[in-house]
Amino acid sequence: MKKTKASMLLAVVTAFTLLAGCAGNNAGNNAGGASDSAAAGNASGTVNQAEAPQEPVKISIMANLHTPEVPNDKVERLLEEATNTELEFQWVPDGTYDEKMNASFATGTLPHAVYIKNQTSLIMMRDAIRNGQFWEIGPLLADYPNLAALNADVLRNTSVEGKIYGLYQERPLSRQGLIFRKDWADKLGLSAPTTTDEFYAMLKAFKDGDPDGNGANDTIGLTDRSDLVYGAFKTVGSWFGTPNGWGELDGKLAPEFMFPQYMETMKFFKKLHEEGLINQDFPVTSKTDQQNLLITGRAGAYVGSMGDVVSLDKSITEVNPDALLDVQNQIAGPDGSFGVWAIPGYGSVVLFPKSAVKSEEELKSILAFYDRLMSPELANLIYWGVEGEHYTMEEGKVVPIEDTKVTDREVKPYQALQIGGPLTIQGFQEAKHVLPSKQKAEELTVNNNDYLIHDPTAALDSATYTQDGVRLQELIKDATYNFMLGNLDEAGFNQAVDNWLKQGGQKIIDEFNASHAQSQ
Amino acid sequence: MSNAAIGNKTVTRQKQTSGLMRRIIKNKAIYLMILPGFVYFLIFKYIPMSGLIIAFQDYQPYLGIANSEWVGMKHFKRLFTEPMFFTILRNTLVLFAINLLFYFPVPIILALMLNEVRRAFFKRFVQTVIYIPHFMSWVIIVSISFVMLSMDRGIINELIAMLGLEKINFLMSNEWFRPMYLLQVIWREAGWGTIIYLAAMAAIDPGLYEASRIDGANRFRQMWHITLPSIRSVIIVLLILKIGDVLELGFEHIYLLLNSMNREVAEIFDTYVYTAGLRQGQFSFSTAVGFFKSIVGLILVMFANWLAKKIGEEGIY
Repeated sequence: MKKTKASMLLAVVTAFTLLAGCAGNNAGNNAGGASDSAAAGNASGTVNQAEAPQEPVKISIMANLHTPEVPNDKVERLLEEATNTELEFQWVPDGTYDEKMNASFATGTLPHAVYIKNQTSLIMMRDAIRNGQFWEIGPLLADYPNLAALNADVLRNTSVEGKIYGLYQERPLSRQGLIFRKDWADKLGLSAPTTTDEFYAMLKAFKDGDPDGNGANDTIGLTDRSDLVYGAFKTVGSWFGTPNGWGELDGKLAPEFMFPQYMETMKFFKKLHEEGLINQDFPVTSKTDQQNLLITGRAGAYVGSMGDVVSLDKSITEVNPDALLDVQNQIAGPDGSFGVWAIPGYGSVVLFPKSAVKSEEELKSILAFYDRLMSPELANLIYWGVEGEHYTMEEGKVVPIEDTKVTDREVKPYQALQIGGPLTIQGFQEAKHVLPSKQKAEELTVNNNDYLIHDPTAALDSATYTQDGVRLQELIKDATYNFMLGNLDEAGFNQAVDNWLKQGGQKIIDEFNASHAQSQ
Repeated sequence: MSNAAIGNKTVTRQKQTSGLMRRIIKNKAIYLMILPGFVYFLIFKYIPMSGLIIAFQDYQPYLGIANSEWVGMKHFKRLFTEPMFFTILRNTLVLFAINLLFYFPVPIILALMLNEVRRAFFKRFVQTVIYIPHFMSWVIIVSISFVMLSMDRGIINELIAMLGLEKINFLMSNEWFRPMYLLQVIWREAGWGTIIYLAAMAAIDPGLYEASRIDGANRFRQMWHITLPSIRSVIIVLLILKIGDVLELGFEHIYLLLNSMNREVAEIFDTYVYTAGLRQGQFSFSTAVGFFKSIVGLILVMFANWLAKKIGEEGIY
């Protein structure tokens, strides 16, 4: 009798456990069921479309939300009308995008079209892509006039083992350049630097020449932050002729830090640091603090994305109405030539998971939607909004309305859907920039296209790199900073490189070279 | 639970179990009140523990636990053969030792001092002021110290320069990392840590103090012979719990302080897991490291508990 009671207690506990487990499963099943039925509805939609075109195609899309709020559906309804679709958006805030995507992936609840956050996220997805979790779309692209215009090189950069799985969102290949205080340079009789020596001379003059005229030696030259890629280091490295990530050394691919130009760049920064021409804490400075040094008139030069000039100009004129910023891109290295590193040409990529898109028919109807999305009318609609409501046209260029709250709510989130961009869409509207330096930054970004240094490993594959690359890169990052601060000499740096080679770097080199040979 | 499970073994045990069951039935209202907590631990602590399985697999999110490949001890082998393993282990243990030796006594001393304050208003005021930092996130505390310690116009370095000394690169040096870490921990947590001690002191029988005063003990003697022995068991319990957290030094705090120049002393298991494991999506390896950490923590707690019992204290179980 009493024993039974003990076992009853156990049974109750077990029941609770099972119940909890079941609840979880049910939720999963329901979600799965929902997407199944959506998929089924979609499939029938496609079939019907052939017979009776008025039946709209259902497409669910997961996209990156860069604004604090989910947009209202004005643009969505216009889109649905124009493409005869029924769209369902899953807006995911930028900060948690990768986690949400991985979670949906693990539970098999991805929608029909998934935007991948950035290049790094795409590299993480390679295993899954190889595993056949997504549709290959390469051979189908030629059937769609607009999609066929996508750049083959950029598509190749997004490919996995030479096969194309996604449509890409275009990004300017290189926005990198110099932003400097034009008023300081004018006062000191300097023109925009065209060589690294002139760049150095400018920084020195900014420190010693009392450019702010207050009689105190309280200014520095360059402001930098704790980022070897998007901070100043990589761009200055390009000026010195350092390859972008990887380059060819004696006919073989080798990482950038094995090149003498990388050492030159480090020495340049070491000199800047020693002579106090750069903020002393730059290896631990945040982007906000870095920009504040420029805004508050402590530093006179900023190397990074030239597009930053808009926000910097706005803040700096609040502090000092006389301040004037200018941009410059072509700064040649010691060998007299100019180069600038390029990103692989895409920001986001959209993939089509097989778990949601059940048949090739369905895939084709979704691609047809994206083909329409790349037409000039719709591309302009999702990027700029509705003419007269979100922008006006002046001299054939777009002038967005002043009230950014309206555009943030109604248009900006949809920019995340864009496929292609100005280079691949004929008739994509350009913006008219009120700020001359912004206009110049845009022109120089286009000018950069003639001097690009590409990363030859963008489309290559190395299993060791995927597994250990980030950790190994930390070794090099540490050594680079320590060299620039004078804690490490050349021999010490080379030892770090040896360490890198021993701990898996050599494998990465071999694998990239093998992958390179295979792709040719 | 465990009694019920073992209960079937022998007759004597069965009688005990029956006793337990009778007690449960008798006090069913009270047991019912335990139930939510019990279910909570079961669902949110014990069931998720089964996820530790992935430490022995090459876990891929799209394959799930059921279909991922089994790899045995591969991830543990990798951990123990990492070139950084001993550096990380040393850093973790040194920071733990610093925590234990220098941070742990601070709340006790603070509580003793507060206990001697006679004016209730002043005591409460001080208490509130020293609690406040506990509610600030590490991001804020680290940012404040960055601003103060910066080489470019940081207030501390400006003071040092004014005294004619050479500026110190606090943020990017191996030597200053540990003191900086310790000071930040003390500033944030010491006030909060006094709460339990003050509560324990409030429970001391005032008669003891009276008696000792009659015997002619001064304030210091009273503190030494009455206050401290009375809170000894509380101190021991907190010490054991603290030891259990040996490898939980606070990822957020250390990650914020960590940079290329102090990695040699600042890299601990949590930060390493983040760069080597999570940033590259290696969930299995991260789990293996976490598992290892927990085992070390468990062993230390059991050891501390055994030691406490050995010297005649109560321990935590």
